[in-house]
Amino acid sequence: MSVDQLLTDTASRLFAELCTHSAIQEAEANGQAPEIWQAFAETGFAWISLPEAAGGSGGTLLDALEVLRLVGYYAAPIPAAETGMLGGWLLASAGLSLPDGIVTVAPGSQNDTIAIAADGSVSGAAHMVPWGRQAERLVIVNSGQVASIPIEAASVTNNVSLAGEPRDTLTFDNVAAEVADAPEGADADALRFRGALSRVALMAGAMEKMSQLTVSYTNEREQFGRPVARFQAVQQHLVWASQDAALTRMAADAAGREADRGDARFEIASAKLVANQAATRATKACHQAHGAMGMTQEYELHHSSRRLWSWRSEYGGVNEWATWVGETAIAGGADGLYPLITGGSNALS
Amino acid sequence: MRFTPTELTEAELALQSEVRKFLADELPPGSHEPGLGMQASHDKAFSKKMAERGWVGMALPKEWGGSDKKAVDRFIVVEEMLRWGAPVGYHWVADRQTGNIINKFGTDEQRERFLPQICRGELGFSIGMSEPDSGSDLASVSTRAERDDGGWIVNGTKIWTSNAHENDWFICLLRTTPLEDGGNKREGLSQLLIDLKNTDGLELSPIPFLNGEHHFNEVSFTDVFVPDENVVGQPGMGWNQNTTEMAYERGGPDRWLSPFSTVEQLLRETQGSELGPRTVSLFGELVARWWALRNLSLSVSRLIDAGEAPSIESSLVKEMGTRFEIEIIEKLVELVDHELTPSSESLFQRLLAQCVLTGPGNTIRGGTIEILRSVASKGLQGLPT
Repeated sequence: MSVDQLLTDTASRLFAELCTHSAIQEAEANGQAPEIWQAFAETGFAWISLPEAAGGSGGTLLDALEVLRLVGYYAAPIPAAETGMLGGWLLASAGLSLPDGIVTVAPGSQNDTIAIAADGSVSGAAHMVPWGRQAERLVIVNSGQVASIPIEAASVTNNVSLAGEPRDTLTFDNVAAEVADAPEGADADALRFRGALSRVALMAGAMEKMSQLTVSYTNEREQFGRPVARFQAVQQHLVWASQDAALTRMAADAAGREADRGDARFEIASAKLVANQAATRATKACHQAHGAMGMTQEYELHHSSRRLWSWRSEYGGVNEWATWVGETAIAGGADGLYPLITGGSNALS
Repeated sequence: MRFTPTELTEAELALQSEVRKFLADELPPGSHEPGLGMQASHDKAFSKKMAERGWVGMALPKEWGGSDKKAVDRFIVVEEMLRWGAPVGYHWVADRQTGNIINKFGTDEQRERFLPQICRGELGFSIGMSEPDSGSDLASVSTRAERDDGGWIVNGTKIWTSNAHENDWFICLLRTTPLEDGGNKREGLSQLLIDLKNTDGLELSPIPFLNGEHHFNEVSFTDVFVPDENVVGQPGMGWNQNTTEMAYERGGPDRWLSPFSTVEQLLRETQGSELGPRTVSLFGELVARWWALRNLSLSVSRLIDAGEAPSIESSLVKEMGTRFEIEIIEKLVELVDHELTPSSESLFQRLLAQCVLTGPGNTIRGGTIEILRSVASKGLQGLPT
């Protein structure tokens, strides 16, 4: 399975036109970017990979991941992952209706208290909810049930990620929700892996952009009478950032390919872990190569670097996934170690 | 630069299973002292067994004793051998690069002379690039060959020549046209094949490794006669041929698997005991990175099979892979609370001791990571390398 080049080209054109430096800046100041979202939704990109029968746009998970990679590349300030492959996926899986507006999900903070009561009402708080203030429905999966909750009934406390994107606290008190049984394979654990995969795709795009930006900046910026990219100490940063971008892209592609087929827990866990560590190294290298200019709001590096700092923590940081992959590898024993590296989830019994 | 994800076909997976079965039968765990990747020991009998299965020189044409296989097939065989710590040292260089160079640039007479023997696992090659005054600046080599009746008279010294004392032949980069003032250093170089065992005027002296082991040698030539039939390719085109050779040398599993047998042995020795969170997450980090890096490295082999020359990609993978090897060794050392000894009763600790002592070489051999960065960054900036 592969992605149609037309999809890549169309999405790239859309984002290149709309996600200008000032538009992203404005979205951060306003806490939303309704024009960008509207244009994105009108093309059908928001519901890509969701079956047309359920009100989606059709297409594969690979298509959705390609769009997310481009969202990451252009730093598009919209809840693309939440509405489509996360919240929309839960709704479509459980046979609940897709709303017209934005869907978001509770990524699962430790201090969340949100729960579905026996009568189908929802109470409690969900934290760090992406674009909670702008969304129409919050989707949660809890004890075998999926609930679609109207956000107009929530009390909203605004909060932001390190990238300045909305990550709000939504509190509900006996709010009537649409509830359905969660089918097999659509539980909190599956949402965690799927959320991690969405972040890997976003991070692959952001790291590629950041790496390219750094190559071009260091070729333009001159010191001691020549472009700073001519200095070996600077070249080291360029090479390391491009390696981490390539490593993350490869991890995203390989994990996406397996997820499109079936069980991809090993690939997703490994990809998120690799991407998290790569993001740490690559942001350090790119900022250093940019010098003071990279520390300003007026220059665009921070659109990529701050998003990477945000996404590397969402849906599992280094510790969580290193523990998961480590326990999985150890359980397979010494003889299973290399077969796991080459065979991935297929090698898991 | 683009790394396109790829995966193994059914036929390639079948080869992988076949190699795994061969290794499990020939070298069951506990029956041999694993090597650290390509620092494997030399075992002519083992090389012969691999050759009997068509796994030495496998990408070479059938006509010359090879198997007409692809770079990816070789990748599969090599990664299994290296992660197992199998003794592939004897045929290693001939299989990885010299056979390819002779096939690509040599005459039919040379192919006939060398390739069948390489494919039978009967010919060990050493590489003659570095000199006392030429390391990273390889084009500055000063070993010279002067024209003589029917051949060349060679004088000069090569250094850091791994295993010249165990190998049979030497592929040597040297100057066949004197460099004029202001001339291009990359012109006038040639690659010559020199018999290590039967050549008058060739002298080998060991350069003991920091731990006393004998891998390195100095090879000096005093009026050594090399016949014309031992010149590979066009005289004067040695630099370009050598650059091609290095694309084969870089980016493969040998650049990221050296400490694998050590890590696997740690798991073997701790099996059944409760591992601390630090060890658990270290296994997680290493396995995840190996998985991603292997995918990159495999994609480079696919590019080679597609007829491309992925020199930037392979430099990036080698630079990253060898740095990762060093990171692994450092993290393993942090897990061990007592002093390491090369004679430990624990195989894991013996291997780790060896990793520590030889590790610094990983980011130096075959082009230092500094040189690789310079090559890769020119590629990233679209400049000529």
